Amino acid sequence: MRVLPTILLGLLMTPAVTAAPPRPARSLEVAPNPIVLGGTNRVQQIQVTASGPDGRQFDVTHRATLEITGTERAAVDGSTVRGVSDGDASLKVSYGGRVVEIPIRVRNRTTFPPVHFNNDIMPILSKLGCNSGGCHGKQSGQNGFKLSVFGFDPRADFNALVKEARGRRVSLASPGGSLLVAKASNAIAHGGGARTSTGSPDHFLLSQWVAQGAPWGSDRAPQVRSIRVSPAQRVLRATDEQQLLVTAVYSDGTTRDVTGASEYTSNATLVADIEEAGHVHTGRVPGEAAITINYMGHVTASRITVPRDGGPENYPKLPTNNRIDELVWAKLRRMGILPSGLASDAVFLRRLHLDTLGGLPSPAEVRAFAADKRSDRRQRAINDVLGRPELVDYWTQKWGDVLLADREVLGERGAFEFHRWLRVQLATNRPYDEWVRELLTATGNSGRYGPVNFFRAARTPNELTRSVSQAFLGIRMDCAQCHHHPFEKWGQDDFYGMAGFFNGLKHTSLGPGRELVYHGGYQPTRIPLVNQLVLPRPPGGRGIENFGESDPRVRLAEWVTRPDNPYFARLVANRIWKQFLGRGLVEPEDDFRSTNPPTNPALLDHLAEQLVADRFDLRKLMRHILSSRVYQLSSIPNQTNADDEQSYSHHLVKRLPAAVLLDAISEVTGTPESFTGMPRGTRAIQLWDNRLPSYFLDTFGRSERQSPCECGSSTEPTMAQTLHLMNAPEIDAKITAAGSRIDRLTAGKATPRQIVNELCLSALGRPPNDREVRAAEKLFAGSPPRQAAEDFLWALLNSYDFLFVH
Amino acid sequence: MTHSSARTTSRLSSYCDGLNRREMLSVGSLGGLGLAELLWMQESFAKAKGKPVRDINCIFLFALGGQPHQDMWDVKPDAPSEIRGDFNPISTKASGIQISDVLPRISTITDKLAIMRSVTHVDSDHGRGYHVMMTGKRPGAGDFNGNQNNNHHPCLGSMVSRLGTPGELPPYISVPNFLNSGGPSFLGPSYGPFVIEADPAAPDFSVRDITLPTAISTNRNARRQAVLREINRFERQAETVGRSVRSLDTFYQKAAGLMTSKKAKEAFDIHRESDKTRAEYGMTSVGQCCLLSRRLVEAGCRFVAIENGHWDTHRKNTYSLKDLLCPSFDRAVPALLNDLEQRGMLDDTLVVISTEFGRTPQINQLAGRDHWPNVFSIAMAGGGVKGGQVIGASDRRAAGVADRPITPGDMTATVLDLMGIDPRQILHTPLGRPIPLVDDGRPITELT
Repeated sequence: MRVLPTILLGLLMTPAVTAAPPRPARSLEVAPNPIVLGGTNRVQQIQVTASGPDGRQFDVTHRATLEITGTERAAVDGSTVRGVSDGDASLKVSYGGRVVEIPIRVRNRTTFPPVHFNNDIMPILSKLGCNSGGCHGKQSGQNGFKLSVFGFDPRADFNALVKEARGRRVSLASPGGSLLVAKASNAIAHGGGARTSTGSPDHFLLSQWVAQGAPWGSDRAPQVRSIRVSPAQRVLRATDEQQLLVTAVYSDGTTRDVTGASEYTSNATLVADIEEAGHVHTGRVPGEAAITINYMGHVTASRITVPRDGGPENYPKLPTNNRIDELVWAKLRRMGILPSGLASDAVFLRRLHLDTLGGLPSPAEVRAFAADKRSDRRQRAINDVLGRPELVDYWTQKWGDVLLADREVLGERGAFEFHRWLRVQLATNRPYDEWVRELLTATGNSGRYGPVNFFRAARTPNELTRSVSQAFLGIRMDCAQCHHHPFEKWGQDDFYGMAGFFNGLKHTSLGPGRELVYHGGYQPTRIPLVNQLVLPRPPGGRGIENFGESDPRVRLAEWVTRPDNPYFARLVANRIWKQFLGRGLVEPEDDFRSTNPPTNPALLDHLAEQLVADRFDLRKLMRHILSSRVYQLSSIPNQTNADDEQSYSHHLVKRLPAAVLLDAISEVTGTPESFTGMPRGTRAIQLWDNRLPSYFLDTFGRSERQSPCECGSSTEPTMAQTLHLMNAPEIDAKITAAGSRIDRLTAGKATPRQIVNELCLSALGRPPNDREVRAAEKLFAGSPPRQAAEDFLWALLNSYDFLFVH
Repeated sequence: MTHSSARTTSRLSSYCDGLNRREMLSVGSLGGLGLAELLWMQESFAKAKGKPVRDINCIFLFALGGQPHQDMWDVKPDAPSEIRGDFNPISTKASGIQISDVLPRISTITDKLAIMRSVTHVDSDHGRGYHVMMTGKRPGAGDFNGNQNNNHHPCLGSMVSRLGTPGELPPYISVPNFLNSGGPSFLGPSYGPFVIEADPAAPDFSVRDITLPTAISTNRNARRQAVLREINRFERQAETVGRSVRSLDTFYQKAAGLMTSKKAKEAFDIHRESDKTRAEYGMTSVGQCCLLSRRLVEAGCRFVAIENGHWDTHRKNTYSLKDLLCPSFDRAVPALLNDLEQRGMLDDTLVVISTEFGRTPQINQLAGRDHWPNVFSIAMAGGGVKGGQVIGASDRRAAGVADRPITPGDMTATVLDLMGIDPRQILHTPLGRPIPLVDDGRPITELT
């Protein structure tokens, strides 16, 4: 038992076999061409791409034979070329019978270019992981040596290396004895082991830097402006490989190969993972992976698609209801998988009601829908739910979660008014951009005017920067408050630039639980770490010099809600898409990053464009999504799509959220829940008070509406949930109470068959299937009808068919 | 559907200690680790330590409020009277170890105890002290005091829940309530405690939702479960993809297992203990919590957290200890350790007695002592800990560390290490932020 797992894991982790016979190649292409090497330490990663007979390109960098002509000038290590002495040489690349020869020019080989701490040493500290959050980058450092996490503060790191520890880290007298050099290779015992080996380019550069006197470097040295990766996207086969080529572009227009110096991260390691230095390996799982590349705070990504092997030979032409279907089918075609068939009418109706209204269709509605033979019955059902009041209840609560309308923070009055205001916006279907603009510039008494409570849920400029960017832009700015975002372009200037809009916001008490919220005029904002003034500006935008007397929030609100804002429409479209399809096109749904790309960018663009064209009418967008065939697909996979979780080839099942589940149990049992202080008959999705005591809602994970926290998904199962559903006296009481559905059914003349039918219609939105009928028959044969009915309902309430949206 | 939100990174080494393990074996995904992976990790950790794999469980008794170290574990008879207080040292079972005469029963089992007299941190607020002593990590600003989620860092129980091999019972149980710093933080609710929200000393004690509703007989429940299995069978075959179905399925199987396993279900039923045994532990909250913990660990729970208190003796310190707090504590702890030993469980059960902080050296005007994190004592026993020893020392006023400072991180690393979980692992938040399990803590090697 203890041995087996090791073997299993060994199998899983076996690298791709590369000894396969060469694939037929029509031509070869080598990049870069020519290879130019200037300075002692420069190296160049090469990339060899072959074209097959079908025109498809594939990478053979690590399979091709590389030979140098003129070995006194240049040498090749693996797939990296380095200079030996000044002059010209060439590289002969052969694969599958094809040969290409490209020139190599070695210049200034004997000149070791001046090492620049920020340009040359910082990337090594990042790449070797020295400044990662787990090692010297953590708040307390490691064994007395602290670096800024991800190298966001090069000056401090320079001081830590050069000035602290009495010069032991960097010893000009003995570069090799410097702790920096000796610990990195574990020549002196290092808690983090050998991060590099003696003689490696990184190690050489570290010792060269010390030998040059450990300088900061010239202030005029060119700075990295951007990085680019080749290829930016590529379709690969399973257990295939791809060498990436990463190039940094400097402020003086020069470029440098930084493939070996960059950090790589895959967002789907089973699809594609990175070995050393930009060498991508695909696994056996089809799908898409984004490889994030980070070099000195500059970030880009390469997208790897691995289609399913043995997909349909002739991909069929699939029917479409609208543009959404076209875009999803196009992706599925690329992936070599087929969508599942449409869900049955019964499954569709239940799904539609739960997703839009947060409630089950009643048995009468189920019957009526089943009897409706009109061809547009699904469209009619969609139009029907979009006009119902429950839609407003349910989405008001959902927006309350997003906007953190926590009663504990806002007080009863504040939470109630906030909820009421949101409800009005949704009930009147006011354009989304309009109500967000009103919210973001709200001024007034929190006990009378709901939206100002947004500025009480988050109060300080920093809190507001986090909550506005996450709620309306889908940008997680949290990281940038303390250091440059490790996976994104956001820096501290972006964070504090945005915080500037809220600097000067005032809260004046008007008595218990009430405040006057207004903006007292712009106040200059500084980045604390460097104590530097920063102009207010939207993330990535331009600084605003002068507001005059007006409320700075007006300018921010205008920018946020602009139709061409790349985030605003996309985020809300993604939220609605996730609610209906079970998984955001970007996931987590509010974490938009270039390094976390949407799984179907064209589709997200389309949804956003549609929303803008419809003037931010959220219900129109809902209708558009619900009307697609993609939304109406069955959740039962076919042979080609069982592994797919991100391309919407079949519907993803999801557990009923806490409030919806509680309402569903009340509805099916026929025994309403009573909430302290709320009118009888109040449903859980109508609650404005998120702190109302409820063991059920706590256990099944209602939103805590607290400041954004990485606390895991609230629909995760726990043992307490399953035990509660099975054994709780509260649920037993609902099943058996006087006036319950069972009570009514068994009091009358209903036959067992009718009882079972009614219970299934109510709980599952469909008549019982054969299995359920048989199981029920056994129960009714062995116990009194009332008891059998209770037992059958108990089983239904615990069944996956009930607990999940299918 | 939660799986996708987890970011798995593929840095070459996620271990700061240079062990080049693949990331998939660290803990990046919310989907949870398979048993195979857990066993693999545990095995390789044991191998690295050169020790056989053993499942050690933990009973973590938290004395809420802050135990006065100088009146209990670390008496200073030679200090001036305003520091010394009213208690006197007594010799104990372990030669050379003296503790306070307010703990006469504990003095008979010091051969099993390792007392650490040099624990130190800097958080003198209850919420913050609670957080740092339950998690090993300091909380962020404003990030404490009863947040159900432990915003800052998962507590030990949640780490064990995530990384320990599971048994039949929920892996992490807390009693007689949720411990305020006992949350799972970014690990997510699946790794939170199963909370027994009842005092096992109460005559009508029962655990919510563990027992069947009164009208439901065992036979009837068996019929229900059979119908449920029958109804669900089809779903499980058809919707093989549904990760959420599968993960709930796991919990259903566990819950059903719990309901059908006599041993597991009976573990929660403290009434099955003889009156004699119950009396031995004392019919007090802490006594019966300890007894229940023993039952739970015996049946396969990995980590039981007990809250005992309230030890916040700002006034009338002597009276509070002597008449209110110590008698039940002093009865419960020896009963637990003796019971574990008699049942042959002591070697596999680590018992930790912890608290937020100690109390001020100087007795205040209300005859009480205030909060003092600068130095204080905790104790451990069982689970491979060598008893009969004192580790570290405070100064002569019990005001500062004199020898061998022990940090909350050291304590956390020690507990994990003893339980066979590599404390050097790095966890990832849903955003992909790497967080070391333990910040700058090292296992206290003298313990074993």
